[in-house]
Amino acid sequence: MTGRARAMWTEPLAAVLLLLPVASPAQQPSAPHASPTNPAPMHDMPGMSEHAMVMPIPMPAGMPMMPGLVGLAPGVTPFLPGAGLDLARLPAAKASAVVRLKNGDTLDLTATLVRRAIAGHAFAMYGYNGEVPGPLIRVPRNATIVVRFHNRIDLPSAVHWHGVRLDNRSDGAPGVTQEPVAPGADFIYRIHFPDAGIYWYHPHVREDVEQAMGLYGAMLVDSPDSDYYPPANRDAVLMLGDLLVNADSLIPFGREGPDFALMGRVGNVLLVNGEPDYALHVRRGEVVRFQLVNVSSSRTWNVSFGGAPMKLLAGDQSRFEREERVMSVVLAPAERYVVEVRFDRAGRVPLVNAVQAINHYQGEFVPEVDTLGMVTVDAAPVAPDYGRAFSTLGAHPDVSRDIDRYRGYFDRPPDKRLTLALATTALPLATVQFMSIDTAYYAPVEWVDGMPDMNWLSTSKQVRWVLRDDVTGKENMDIDWHVSAGSVVKLRIFNDPTSFHPMQHPIHLHGQRMLVVARDGVPSTNLVWKDTALIPVGATVDLLIDASNPGAWMLHCHIAEHLGSGMMAVLHVDPPAQGSGR
Amino acid sequence: MRLALAAAVLLAAAPLPAAHSGSTLSDAAGPYDIALFSTPTAPAARGHARLVYAPSPFGVAVTADGRARYDVQITASALPAPSTLGAFSSYVAWEVTPDLSRWTRLGVVAKGTSTVGPAELNKFLLVITAEADSMPAAHAGPTVLHGTSPSGWLQSFLTHPLFRGVAP
Repeated sequence: MTGRARAMWTEPLAAVLLLLPVASPAQQPSAPHASPTNPAPMHDMPGMSEHAMVMPIPMPAGMPMMPGLVGLAPGVTPFLPGAGLDLARLPAAKASAVVRLKNGDTLDLTATLVRRAIAGHAFAMYGYNGEVPGPLIRVPRNATIVVRFHNRIDLPSAVHWHGVRLDNRSDGAPGVTQEPVAPGADFIYRIHFPDAGIYWYHPHVREDVEQAMGLYGAMLVDSPDSDYYPPANRDAVLMLGDLLVNADSLIPFGREGPDFALMGRVGNVLLVNGEPDYALHVRRGEVVRFQLVNVSSSRTWNVSFGGAPMKLLAGDQSRFEREERVMSVVLAPAERYVVEVRFDRAGRVPLVNAVQAINHYQGEFVPEVDTLGMVTVDAAPVAPDYGRAFSTLGAHPDVSRDIDRYRGYFDRPPDKRLTLALATTALPLATVQFMSIDTAYYAPVEWVDGMPDMNWLSTSKQVRWVLRDDVTGKENMDIDWHVSAGSVVKLRIFNDPTSFHPMQHPIHLHGQRMLVVARDGVPSTNLVWKDTALIPVGATVDLLIDASNPGAWMLHCHIAEHLGSGMMAVLHVDPPAQGSGR
Repeated sequence: MRLALAAAVLLAAAPLPAAHSGSTLSDAAGPYDIALFSTPTAPAARGHARLVYAPSPFGVAVTADGRARYDVQITASALPAPSTLGAFSSYVAWEVTPDLSRWTRLGVVAKGTSTVGPAELNKFLLVITAEADSMPAAHAGPTVLHGTSPSGWLQSFLTHPLFRGVAP
């Protein structure tokens, strides 16, 4: 946590804890057997037991484990990749390399165990082609490439090409488009890139484990138009992630399913491109085009560059209709934004994530500022100087013209309605009681986890996050939506604030594109094509889906633990009937 | 120990949003609503407000340091003409720190629903005053309506010196 300027939280609410009964220990499942594809669980290792977790969960300063929760452990078997292996025998992870591919090219992508050193400690983690992040795949728009995926890790896996409107068979959604790729097995993906912009790839099996352990990479799709973006002196891809560690150990995952199921696993070490200390050297006046990707399981970021002027260019799948000045960029999990930043003064400019945490014990807001890295600006001026272009806010009539075809649908009644909710069973009583008390204020976005011990105890056995069809009452995978390819679907999503533990949800739709046309009834005035939309607590968001790509497509929350706790459905985009002319 | 128990009872007894919607905050419907209360200056006045995200290209609107930015939709009724209260011409909404030390003008409140803002404090009082000018440099006229942002529900008596072992 380099450069962390975290405010201290003091005086825990011991008073309330006195009223909470001590819950009985959670029941533990029987231990699975170890095998080449089913690695030894943690209790087979010295110092680890499934019944007595020796590793306390890191808490915010001044907020100790609640007495009513002491002695409890999540009802899952602790699991860490490569546990018990000799770290020295694992290859050291390499930095991400740029792989430029053209139409028809093939890439071999292999998931393996790697050794990574983070904050002075070595861990067994995952990488694609030995790299963290995985290779930066750079392709021209409209290229089609083949990726031969080789799974050489200790869990089944699959690769999802996030945001790409590709052929359904290559979407990498196990249970919907393919079977999981078993350890030792291979799978071939054929990926077509119809839209310019920044995309990313990640596993769609136990995302909470595999993605957090390093399996993610970016894809840059270049427009044939050299003026697609305003001029910049350089491009920089920043993949923002986090990792949950305690002293010199990773916090284990649940073998049978996710733990941290309520809020998601919010890490306490913040990473840019897999590393805790981002560094960039630029010249005075330099304009850097940052392509930001949120690869964390649960964290929503609010990043800025020490007040340096920033211009927002693009979102998930397209440019905005108009460029905008912004002071910071908010990214929910899986979202992408493209911004230009001009560093017009020599010196050091911090890249920070700044949020307002809530101290639930004290009923106070707590500023929390994490320095993710530093941009060092040399005194020597840059050439060429793009200052004049940077000071201009461009408009993109081609984006507006594309969207014009859909504006007639903006005000019509929704075709589909979803409510986001939560169902729980058998949570520790102390958790239930504290959370019942803790409903005085619904935070629209929970930026940090102020109660990680309680969160850790919630598993996908006890927590079921819900997408509920308002019309049929069906939930999650029971939802049976079919629309015709070429149709335009208005989906209204309401995030019910009266749920037991309401939380924001970044809702992601595979294989299509969509517009956020209104939030709480207020129309959007600067549109951008998206594949992931943040739905804050209490919000009603209207999405307009351009359902043009046939197939069975996942619709789910991109908080990995929410996905692992059931928060997903399938939208079937049926191909046009024979003879329809489409 | 006695203080700690008292604190717990206070917190446990704190009103919850569900209770608000049906009782004291009868005009408020959701977790981002503010019930407005009248003062003796205009006892018949009624009103409520709703916080909606200020325009933003992102899913939420926040400041660079992470505070939520809201537009405030204020619906007021039975407000007398400002001139009947004195030398006033307008009603103005203010975002006020809970200790009343800082007042930020949000905008003019007219008949029906007015959208003012953005409000950018974590916790704030929403105060509507009668003013001589629609763009006053500082608040000067009487208060006619007031309410507390929902985030104010977090206010805990545990931060009071009484519960910190400090003499009041």
